[in-house]
Amino acid sequence: MLNIQINGVDVQVKHGTAIIDAAAESGIVIPRFCYHKKLSTVASCRMCLVEVEKMPKAMPACATPVAEGMKIHTKSPKALNAQRGVLEFLLINHPLDCPVCDQGGDCPLQEASLGFGGGVSHYDFDKRVLHNPDFGPLVATDMMRCILCTRCIRFSREIAGVDDISTAGRGENIRIASQTGHPLTSELSGNLIDLCPVGALTSKPARFTGRPWEYQHRSALGPHDSFGSHLQLDVRGTKVMRVVARECEEINETWLSDRDRFSYQGLYSADRLTTPRIREKGIWREVDWSTALEFVANGLQQVRKTHGAPALGALVAPTATLEESYLIQKLIRTAGSPHIDHRLRQRDFSDQAHDPVFPWLGGAITALEQKTAFLVVGSYLRKEHPLVNHRLRKAVLRGAHAMFLDAVDRAYNYPTSVSMVVPPSAWERSLLAVAKAAHAITGRAIPTGLDALWESIECEAIHRTTAEHLVNAASAVLLLGNVAHAHPRFGALRNLANAVAELTGASVGYLPEGAGTVGAWLTGCVPHRGPGGKTVTVGQDWHTMVTGGVKGLLILGAELERDCADPSAALKGLHQAAFVVSLSPWVSPAQEAYAHALLPIAPYAETSGTYLNLEGRWQSFQGVVAPLGETRPAWKVLRVLGNLMDLSGFDYFSSDQVLAEAREAIGEVTPNNAMPCVVPAAISSETPALERFGEVPPYAQDALVRRASALQATPDGRVPIAARMHSATLAGCGLIEGAQVSVRQGEGVVRLPIIVDDRVAKGCVFVPSASVETAALGPVVGGAVTVVAV
Amino acid sequence: MFDTIARYLKSLFLLELLGGLAVTGRYLFRHKLTIQYPEAHTPLSPRFRGLHALRRYPNGEERCIACKLCEAVCPALAITIESDQREDGTRRTTRYEIDLFKCIYCGACEESCPVDSIVETSAFEYTFERFGEHIMTKSDLLKHGDQYEQRIRADRAADARYR
Ligand code: SF4
Ligand code: SF4
Ligand code: SF4
Ligand code: FES
Repeated sequence: MLNIQINGVDVQVKHGTAIIDAAAESGIVIPRFCYHKKLSTVASCRMCLVEVEKMPKAMPACATPVAEGMKIHTKSPKALNAQRGVLEFLLINHPLDCPVCDQGGDCPLQEASLGFGGGVSHYDFDKRVLHNPDFGPLVATDMMRCILCTRCIRFSREIAGVDDISTAGRGENIRIASQTGHPLTSELSGNLIDLCPVGALTSKPARFTGRPWEYQHRSALGPHDSFGSHLQLDVRGTKVMRVVARECEEINETWLSDRDRFSYQGLYSADRLTTPRIREKGIWREVDWSTALEFVANGLQQVRKTHGAPALGALVAPTATLEESYLIQKLIRTAGSPHIDHRLRQRDFSDQAHDPVFPWLGGAITALEQKTAFLVVGSYLRKEHPLVNHRLRKAVLRGAHAMFLDAVDRAYNYPTSVSMVVPPSAWERSLLAVAKAAHAITGRAIPTGLDALWESIECEAIHRTTAEHLVNAASAVLLLGNVAHAHPRFGALRNLANAVAELTGASVGYLPEGAGTVGAWLTGCVPHRGPGGKTVTVGQDWHTMVTGGVKGLLILGAELERDCADPSAALKGLHQAAFVVSLSPWVSPAQEAYAHALLPIAPYAETSGTYLNLEGRWQSFQGVVAPLGETRPAWKVLRVLGNLMDLSGFDYFSSDQVLAEAREAIGEVTPNNAMPCVVPAAISSETPALERFGEVPPYAQDALVRRASALQATPDGRVPIAARMHSATLAGCGLIEGAQVSVRQGEGVVRLPIIVDDRVAKGCVFVPSASVETAALGPVVGGAVTVVAV
Repeated sequence: MFDTIARYLKSLFLLELLGGLAVTGRYLFRHKLTIQYPEAHTPLSPRFRGLHALRRYPNGEERCIACKLCEAVCPALAITIESDQREDGTRRTTRYEIDLFKCIYCGACEESCPVDSIVETSAFEYTFERFGEHIMTKSDLLKHGDQYEQRIRADRAADARYR
């Protein structure tokens, strides 16, 4: 601790603190533009000049560390004079177009001018004129307003890890320009809007639509990935106007992924379902709630009567809140059926008995930064879980080894040590090879039966390096991503990951797919576990349910034609079901074809609820705007449905009551991923000549983000619907780029153009999933395909 | 005693009545000040605050840039604005409404406008026959602007040197 004096008050501050932070601790505001606590300090704007006794000139408070006995004056004539002068210089080229500037009213430059400026300018020459570069569909540019604080550049380099933007020109012509000539490509680019202290970088989707002073600031949680980012929804009237980050050091720091920031647009898409609809004799009718609910209750009761209670089932999207998950499983189980599932993008349930009580990250988010090696299995981490990737990137910059097992050689924003790019059918063998190599190094006890499996496996250099990195790391983790969960042999894969962990001393972490995944696990939205992991009668997984096991289905929040691992089978099954009810905030043509009733439920922002994030943190949120039209929160709909079906225990008055009951039912749960490694009897011997790989494109994950028009216009939103193949694979099939081919997988055939992409593993055909165009194909990961020219 | 006699004499000779009649007589021959409204009008100050208008630039472009300052400053919350980006990239209102029942004709909107778009004209002769007509829409306000532009300009010019 150092003793210093600020404005005549003695304070104690930590060694190494900058004056600007020391002052902030004692509540003294020093104006600043370039300084940001999460970015490197450059001291380029000079707005923070303060007087330090015994120093001849005013000093930049952001770049001057405190020293013992320092006497600082932030309000002395010398400091104020310096600040006034700097501000006058900064405003020389500023257009002063506040009335048309979206930053107006919320602008550090306006505030500094008011608080520290002089009010007059001695400059009456022409101002510099600049063109606005195209920064893509998310960020609007007005470069005349730029004060060259370089926060945006430092953010893209230091945080986003892309060299997208830099300064161009010199002297008066210096400006911020796109380095690549392309729009921003980072999945975090929206943070530039929060960072830019002036109106040079503003939100394009929200452009010119509102003013900061009209907004009510409401808090919410990121509704997509399982990170649980804190959002601030800016609301006017009954509409969410924009989303900005809410600081939370343990979770999202000050950042947000673009998906969380811009997906609110989907709330107002044209296909929002705002009135209940029922289908009678093939005709859709809009009805009021009581008619619709009665229709649904009768329909379900009918199924129960004719086919027995176990003919009912429910499928839950991983975006459902904890309350919704809890209620729907209670509804189904009380009605007498054990069939409930939320793992819609998973296909292999053979090993589900060994599932941890809920799959979680395995530690705190902040602990990711301390990892010294990590192996990500089956995930485009950067796009699937952008902020997990951001934390891990920090670890890599500190020297951690980043390793990936994937079917596509991804572009990461940090150096990767190992990138094993093989088709999904070879993932088991790769993990086995790593385990074998690890055993050679550590000599630890081999999990029973593993040596028999790896007998025929050759360890290549890449496997040995991976094993070495994992073994030598002080703290290593294997992370199983979304694609791993969709793998046709997820059970084996997971056990092999456990084996690698055992042999290397690493831990295993899961990356739950959606914001509600952890909640769904804990509330018992799985066929083999009740709330809190309790033992229950084991029901059917979603795949068995839709392919014939179940006659009456409740679908909560999912569009099965996109939101499952085997859309063609799902659609076929749904068309044969006797009674399908879709509770959804939106309506899609496929839903209209398979459902018998459509109940409009409130999406995030319009309902209250609880999400558990991937570290198991309970976070509740409130509805911040009134539900659109006749939309109702899903928990209310489920509650009434329970009453109408004469089930007991459905008399709730608020979602808090549901939460309290769910909490009690769940009880104390200690998360533990370290499950015994059950060595699979054999590894997959199947090695198809051509194999499907079909991850979910970054902005197709759930119904909300698919409707966010600005995100859909970005390169990540416009993933071409095509068959992407390695040039060698292509040559082997005798095809050429651009040709139209028909891709056949099982019984499904689709016509697609061919794109050559040498990042795709040899022997793989990359056809994106979660799209209506490719829904006819079979399971999204793995499985033989044939490609023939048409 | 003396008072009583004076009062008696006053009423005997109808002095008060004659005094009153004298006033009447005087005014009978004076120059008349009654204005025959609506045939004739009283003069108006150029600062008179009447019906609102949205002005245009001489090239026909609307002035308003949807800055929403008038909406923010209006003490009666009479103004409602929604805005968006127009096709040419400029910031424009998509809805601009003034509720004349709420408006207190304070003129704060006019003072706040950075582009002299919203003004209160000297027009005050307007009526509403049906409920709802008191809400001035953007097109109404622009129409007023076109209709009264000469007057608006003349009034502003007359007042300019006091501002
Ligand atoms: S665009 Fe904004 S953040 Fe970037 S240098 Fe200019 S003022 Fe700073
Ligand atoms: S005159 Fe006053 S009350 Fe009327 S609209 Fe303008 S600001 Fe509001
Ligand atoms: S009338 Fe003037 S103050 Fe009101 S929004 Fe338009 S430009 Fe702004
Ligand atoms: S904030 Fe210190 S120089 Fe910019």
